[in-house]
Amino acid sequence: MNEADIDADATDRMLLQRMSAGDRAALAVLYRSYHGRLCRFLSRLTRRPDVIEEVINDCFWIAWQKAGTFHGDSRVSTWIIGIAYRCGLKALRQHGDEPVEEDMQEDRFPAHCPDEDRELRDWLAKGLSRLSADQRVVVELVYGLGHTLDDVAVIMQCPVGTVKARLFHARVKLRNTLPALAGEPPIRKESMP
Amino acid sequence: MKLPTDIGKDCARAWEAMPWSLQHSASHEQDEWLTQHLSRCEACRAEFEQQSHLRLAISLPPDIPVDADAGLRRLLARIDAPDTHATTQRPRTSWVTRALVAAVLVQAVGIGVLGARLWSENQPEYRTLSQATAPLPSGAIHVVPDDTMKLADWNGLLHSLHLQVISGPNEVGAYTVVASGASASSKDALQKLRTTHGIRLAEPIASAP
Repeated sequence: MNEADIDADATDRMLLQRMSAGDRAALAVLYRSYHGRLCRFLSRLTRRPDVIEEVINDCFWIAWQKAGTFHGDSRVSTWIIGIAYRCGLKALRQHGDEPVEEDMQEDRFPAHCPDEDRELRDWLAKGLSRLSADQRVVVELVYGLGHTLDDVAVIMQCPVGTVKARLFHARVKLRNTLPALAGEPPIRKESMP
Repeated sequence: MKLPTDIGKDCARAWEAMPWSLQHSASHEQDEWLTQHLSRCEACRAEFEQQSHLRLAISLPPDIPVDADAGLRRLLARIDAPDTHATTQRPRTSWVTRALVAAVLVQAVGIGVLGARLWSENQPEYRTLSQATAPLPSGAIHVVPDDTMKLADWNGLLHSLHLQVISGPNEVGAYTVVASGASASSKDALQKLRTTHGIRLAEPIASAP
């Protein structure tokens, strides 16, 4: 954890402490600071905006109620993402699992989205569509949110070995599919050591 | 390009280190080692380039429009109305609990009724030697009327002696009679029965030893 992460975690802890005393302004700050991250994280589980918003609100509803019980065993971000992950799985059970769409919709991109980003998103979406939901979540947590293997194990409530295996298989699949999607030959078809 | 099995331990180590180097959580020594390895391994360099591309793509802002302000407003409204939320949850729990309690009660009643029926049906229609016989009232008399005695005479005799038939006739034609009134004495009745014409036998029933 670098200095920026330590500072961010200290701020989050302070906000949680204020939330435990009923400070709604602290809740609003924490909500806004995590909204983008949670949106992207949950978009690896579902493409429905209404479900994503419902899960984020369920997550912060729990965080609001349990802020006083946070003992600091992990980073606040690990705690919140873990709650969001469990709420996301619950929502998927209620609404039905929806895989990442194969075809990119034009209206999915923000109006300011440059062509380069669009191409990158398309490349990524096609690659992720080859992964299982658990593998997509691990890839997002490690590459997108910058969590360690230990953090991911806490978030997904599984052994570190399981996280390692999911990440390994996700990387092997991606390395074999992503170059081809970009019009290049795969680096190699074999599994890595 | 070398195959992964030929690359050896260094490539495996580089493969392991890549994500952590990309997210800047690897140590300085690990970063330096990886940089040196990438400078001389084309396959790992290509892999690292793709990993960097993956990290860049995955770090782009979410492409699904979800309004943070609207979501926050809804969350605050939900927090403002905790009782509504509680009351919407409570009846559901209560209803389930009540249904379960009702089901258990119905089952208990059913089991009770079936048990009672089973118990009553299982009552034996025989009596063991160790079971006590139904006790006869004291002063009971066995009386055997003559075959020629008319029913009206028999009834008249019983009436006059204040006697009442409680069982019989048995296989030898004997009736069991007892004095029906508190004032009537079974000893007097016995004597009168013995002297009455048409009565073949009148004997007191001995009490059980």
